[in-house]
Amino acid sequence: MTYPNGKVALADVNVSIQGGDFVFLVGPSGAGKSTFIRLLIREQVPTAGNVRVAGHDLLRMRRGQVPGLRRRIGIVFQDFRLLPNKTVWENVAFALDVTGSPRAIVRQRVPQLLNLVGLHDHAHHLPTQLSGGEQQRTAIARALVHDPAILIADEPTGNLDPVTSWEIIQLLIQINELGTTVLMATHNQEIVNAMRRRVLALEGGQLVRDEAAAAYEREY
Amino acid sequence: MPFVRFIGFSIIRAWQGFWRNAMMSLAATATVILMLVLLSALLIVITGLNSGLEFIESKVAVTAQLEDGLTDAAVATLTREVEAVPGVASVEYVSPAAAMRRLEESYRETGQELDTGGATIRLFASLEISLDDPDASGTVSAELTDDPRVERVLTKQAEYDTLLGIINVIRTVGLVGIGLVGLTVLFMIINTIRIAVYSRANEIEIMRLVGASDSFIRWPFILEGILCGLVGALVTIVLVAVVWDPIQPAMVTIFQMPTAVSARFLTTLSVLLLAVGLGVGALGSWISVRSYLSAAR
Ligand SMILES: Nc1ncnc2c1ncn2[C@@H]1O[C@H](COP(=O)(O)OP(=O)(O)O)[C@@H](O)[C@H]1O
Ligand SMILES: [Mg+2]
Repeated sequence: MTYPNGKVALADVNVSIQGGDFVFLVGPSGAGKSTFIRLLIREQVPTAGNVRVAGHDLLRMRRGQVPGLRRRIGIVFQDFRLLPNKTVWENVAFALDVTGSPRAIVRQRVPQLLNLVGLHDHAHHLPTQLSGGEQQRTAIARALVHDPAILIADEPTGNLDPVTSWEIIQLLIQINELGTTVLMATHNQEIVNAMRRRVLALEGGQLVRDEAAAAYEREY
Repeated sequence: MPFVRFIGFSIIRAWQGFWRNAMMSLAATATVILMLVLLSALLIVITGLNSGLEFIESKVAVTAQLEDGLTDAAVATLTREVEAVPGVASVEYVSPAAAMRRLEESYRETGQELDTGGATIRLFASLEISLDDPDASGTVSAELTDDPRVERVLTKQAEYDTLLGIINVIRTVGLVGIGLVGLTVLFMIINTIRIAVYSRANEIEIMRLVGASDSFIRWPFILEGILCGLVGALVTIVLVAVVWDPIQPAMVTIFQMPTAVSARFLTTLSVLLLAVGLGVGALGSWISVRSYLSAAR
């Protein structure tokens, strides 16, 4: 993947992720983790090679099919990206409203998700009235509105303290156990070491390590 | 059902967007009103002048003032000769006494009395010739000018040509002016929607990430531009309806001729104003959405 300015952000990366897996994507800043994720949600189209996600060939995909792909993938970021003037409930409902979901579905789905992420008591709070962890939970609830096959998290704990980070990881594991494939980019070594899951390591745009859960024993 | 949701969603967002940047939206709407008021004024004046033109056309086209002392038989002969000229529809003899009565009548209509100061006014007898081909007035008057029985030939051609010239000037100047104002309106709407797009940049980013389709992202902005045009058109229609009755006599006074504009024209004008308002709103916002929304994925 080469950016228009000539920067080669990823090269010779060949990865396949099974449905239902929980996979970490690690590497120093600038390694290409976010670029990898942008390719998966077709925010970028690779300049060479191919990307297949949830049965879609992203290179052949027409513009009109991208929204359908994005509903199969939930995504959360380090900076939460909540709408500051909307409450927790409204932030989650927004994702349903803008995709044309009927009111009845919104009223049914939003409380379910707020329960799942443990925010039913904060439904009418604004993001500024929430802790970082609660904001990230809101973002996760929003990412799950369309019951996606895949949840992608780009450094979701980057702005959180260690205890809160662990709570978010627990939530992601819980979501994974409900059947959703989870891909989490992070450079939190501690979490990756403790979790014993498959790890994809990028460095300078190269895939330098791909260790399956069972083989994963070595310390960094 | 999904379509109803889409329409509802877009209208609500457009409405919110309109008030979110109320200053810009109202300024854009004000320019729409300015443009439509100018357009209305132009159309009303031109329609009025056209009906004045028709009036002149329908009036006696050529008047031949006769020499004194023609016998009734001579007048009858002349009448028959003129009737035979191609393009002449009918010929009416107006005696000096009848001409006098008309003059007095026209004074009474304006609320005055004809005061001759004791002197006797003697008017010419004349033939009033109406034409079925307005272009024939040249040939008819040429033929009569050389006739020894005719003192003088008067035509409406000069008056008609002057009015036609005035109408053409007003139309050209008006259209150029409205064109310039129209460009300003377009610029205002493009800018209003551009700012609306920028002020919703965060929402648009999230909409894309959660899989909102392009129509959900774009239509609220297009409707917001259409809303500026719609409000502008409705305000203008109300304004025109309010001043409609007072301006009719005012126009007669200004132009000194029967410039009747039928009330049915008000309906036509309203439809036109709506169409132009909605059209310019849609065009401006469409341009804006195309230029400021298509770049991102
Ligand atoms: N839009 C872009 N245009 C040009 N270069 C970019 C762009 N985004 C990222 N890069 C470059 O690509 C490389 C990988 O970036 P990124 O994928 O964001 O890394 P990471 O998420 O691992 O920190 C970096 O060198 C970065 O500067
Ligand atoms: Mg990154």
